[in-house]
Amino acid sequence: MADRVHSSPKRGRLLTRHGTGLALLGLLTLALVLLGPLFLDRFTQNVLTRSMIYAMMAITVDLLWGYTGILTFGQSAFFGAGAYATALILTHVGGGAQNFALALVLSVILPMALAALVGWLSFYHKSTPLYASVISLVVPIVLSQAIFAGGSFTGSSSGLVGYPVMKLGAANYFRLAGVALILFAGLAWIIVRSDAGRVLIAIRDNPLRAAYLGIRTQRVQIILMTVLGGVAGLCGFLYANAGRIVAPEIAGFGFGTQMIVWTALGGRASIFGPALGAIGIDYLGAQLSGSMPYVWQLIIGVLFVVMILFMPRGLAGLLPRRQRTAAAPTLATLPDRPQESSKDALLSVTGLRKAYGNFVVLDGIELEVRPGELISVVGPNGAGKTTFLRCLSDGTETIQGTITLAGQNIAGRPPEDVVALGIGRKFQVASVFESMTVAECLRLARATHERPTLWNRASGIHLPSAALDILALTGLDKKLAEPVSGLSHGMRQSLELAMVVAMLPRLILLDEPTAGLTKAERTLIGEVLKRLTQELGYAAILIEHDLDFVKEISQRIVVLHQGRLVMDGPVEEVVNSELVRSIYSGMAHD
Amino acid sequence: MALLLDIATTAALLFIVSAGLFVIFGVLKIINFAHAAWLTIGAYTTVVATKMGLSPWLSLPLAVLVGGLLGAVTEIAIVRPLYRRSLDAILATWGLGVVIVQVITLTFGRDMQMPPALITGTVDVLGLPYSSYRLFLLVAAVIMALAFVLVLERTRLGLNAQAVIMNETLARALGINTSRVRLVTFMLGSAIAALAGVLLTPLSSVDPTMGISWLIGAFMLVMVSGTSVTALALACLCFGAAQVLVSTWISPILGSVTVAVLCAVMLRLHPKGFARG
Repeated sequence: MADRVHSSPKRGRLLTRHGTGLALLGLLTLALVLLGPLFLDRFTQNVLTRSMIYAMMAITVDLLWGYTGILTFGQSAFFGAGAYATALILTHVGGGAQNFALALVLSVILPMALAALVGWLSFYHKSTPLYASVISLVVPIVLSQAIFAGGSFTGSSSGLVGYPVMKLGAANYFRLAGVALILFAGLAWIIVRSDAGRVLIAIRDNPLRAAYLGIRTQRVQIILMTVLGGVAGLCGFLYANAGRIVAPEIAGFGFGTQMIVWTALGGRASIFGPALGAIGIDYLGAQLSGSMPYVWQLIIGVLFVVMILFMPRGLAGLLPRRQRTAAAPTLATLPDRPQESSKDALLSVTGLRKAYGNFVVLDGIELEVRPGELISVVGPNGAGKTTFLRCLSDGTETIQGTITLAGQNIAGRPPEDVVALGIGRKFQVASVFESMTVAECLRLARATHERPTLWNRASGIHLPSAALDILALTGLDKKLAEPVSGLSHGMRQSLELAMVVAMLPRLILLDEPTAGLTKAERTLIGEVLKRLTQELGYAAILIEHDLDFVKEISQRIVVLHQGRLVMDGPVEEVVNSELVRSIYSGMAHD
Repeated sequence: MALLLDIATTAALLFIVSAGLFVIFGVLKIINFAHAAWLTIGAYTTVVATKMGLSPWLSLPLAVLVGGLLGAVTEIAIVRPLYRRSLDAILATWGLGVVIVQVITLTFGRDMQMPPALITGTVDVLGLPYSSYRLFLLVAAVIMALAFVLVLERTRLGLNAQAVIMNETLARALGINTSRVRLVTFMLGSAIAALAGVLLTPLSSVDPTMGISWLIGAFMLVMVSGTSVTALALACLCFGAAQVLVSTWISPILGSVTVAVLCAVMLRLHPKGFARG
């Protein structure tokens, strides 16, 4: 492919100054964990072992909820599945090295399989976050009921106890759990700061934009859930060995919601907050709940509500937010999509009809668009223009008629698949990633072309020259390291356009890209569009109200009126037609 | 025959338990996780009322009052500030549920309570003795469903609520006080949930965590029904039947999760649920 780059961009160094400090902190914690058993009594060791296992669970919840926006109550199910897989093997098959190995493997694989199933249930095109949350509630409840129904095989309500466990001793279990926690926290910390971590945040902040950048959001969510299900199962394996007992509660919904509490109180999307939250609350709980069990839970409950209301970032929010010190990444030029020689239609729409019940929005639309064409769609409000663009970019919309893009029928394809065929859509209200920097947004636009790494961040971004032009003309190239939230309206519109162009689409759909822009900005966008289509051979469909602007830049105009395509012709002909005059003066309403 | 009656009364029970949640979900688009706590509060209202020597029937209006008041406080203090963070609103209502359950535990202890039943004994249905209380529930569910339809179709509140359900922004633009509609809806939903709690007392054990076991079924039923009362009734009937059949022939423990599992699978395969055919 032409857009593949051969020289990989220079990768950012993993150990920045901040990273070095953290590595030192990690070593210090490691020393504490290894030496801890020398100072701590046995009870404290046991409690802290459990707390540290819980801390790993809190991190899995943080990755799902804090970073990716999947509010899950169901991590306990995977934990319980791992713990029960272990306990069942050891109870019914017996101890011995090979059985421990078997238990270890099963305690990872079974929860992963379960998590993949849950992921498939929870994430599909147009599924809602609320639905995924409710499913995550159902899973632990079903699992714990199944354990209850399992009779003597699963030990029912009294659980399993007295099975052979790995004889490491309390001190070594403490060390094992501590080392596992440090490794997992470190790994999670690296991943959320990597380019792949940005993809998770993109899905949390703006799943629609992510899908329209071609990112397979549901697949990412399912994979994440599956992997973290495996981690939870591993935690369950550790728990079953260290604790020597499994009970149905550990697979239940109550435990799953506790993890949410640790994460929320510690501070979501901070990795260390939830881990410390879990350790702190579980340890204090073990100390205090003996003397005042209900009051302790009451305090936690009240704290939780107050935190959600007033401190969504949890205790981690009390720390000053770290200044972004990341240097602005370098931009590199990528060849533009080569001019398409073929004069065949890139997009062809035949007999398109879209209705909501009895209400017909679009009817009998016929349209062909060839490479290099810029077609403007005009028409009064409510003519169905935005619906038209949606039907072109989302094959799962129920329509009659056919839409083919580059020879492929798009029917049934969700946006990310249509994007893969070569559509890029710019929304009416600039849709970008609010919590990110300009550079991060641009890199995400390249995510489907250059696979984001899990370990670090690329220091350079490869963009086609047309996208670089947009950045240079608007001055965005000077603001690469700045957060998007501080940009002006016009800048955001330009950024989104640059993101769309960066995907190297064949056909760009633009929904009123100039609305609310100044005259200068408008001229600039017009120049960019002209260059994209006339010089570089992109095709574009533009929705626009401003007829003067349309006259400037496009070759063909299509008029939509009351859901029908009433005119399709060269600019001058359409603009001067009686019909357009009457529509725009409001006289054509039958 | 007994099976048919079981199915009908189970469906009625599911309807009664889900109704409060349904009202809130329809208008506010959030799942009220404190629902379990409202049920529990309703049940404990009966406990308190009967201990004070009042007739158990009086606990019905009392529960409505308590539920409505608590609903108002919750809406204003917790739900309204989180209007734009709907997942957080869910979490906060869940936290509130935890708090309420702990307060009840601290006040009444963990033990099971046994308030006197509203109606006892059996009646003969076609020669078969059947619990008269369960039949009473059937009647109560039908009355509740009719009341829903009447309120939605015939009152200003119902019309405003319908407007908010369809398009809240537009409703606000048309001068409907949407935040008041939300408040009243939340109060109503909470009151109905507390009422359901009272109605549950003779059938379910009354202890601080009693609500939880009803919660998931109610959630799922509401999810598959969307905003249509008919859909809710239909869903209760179908899944109630499934629950009775599984409980009778396979295992009562698995029966308790039948509703949730079936609803989850249905939503995956047919995301609109019962809402539109």
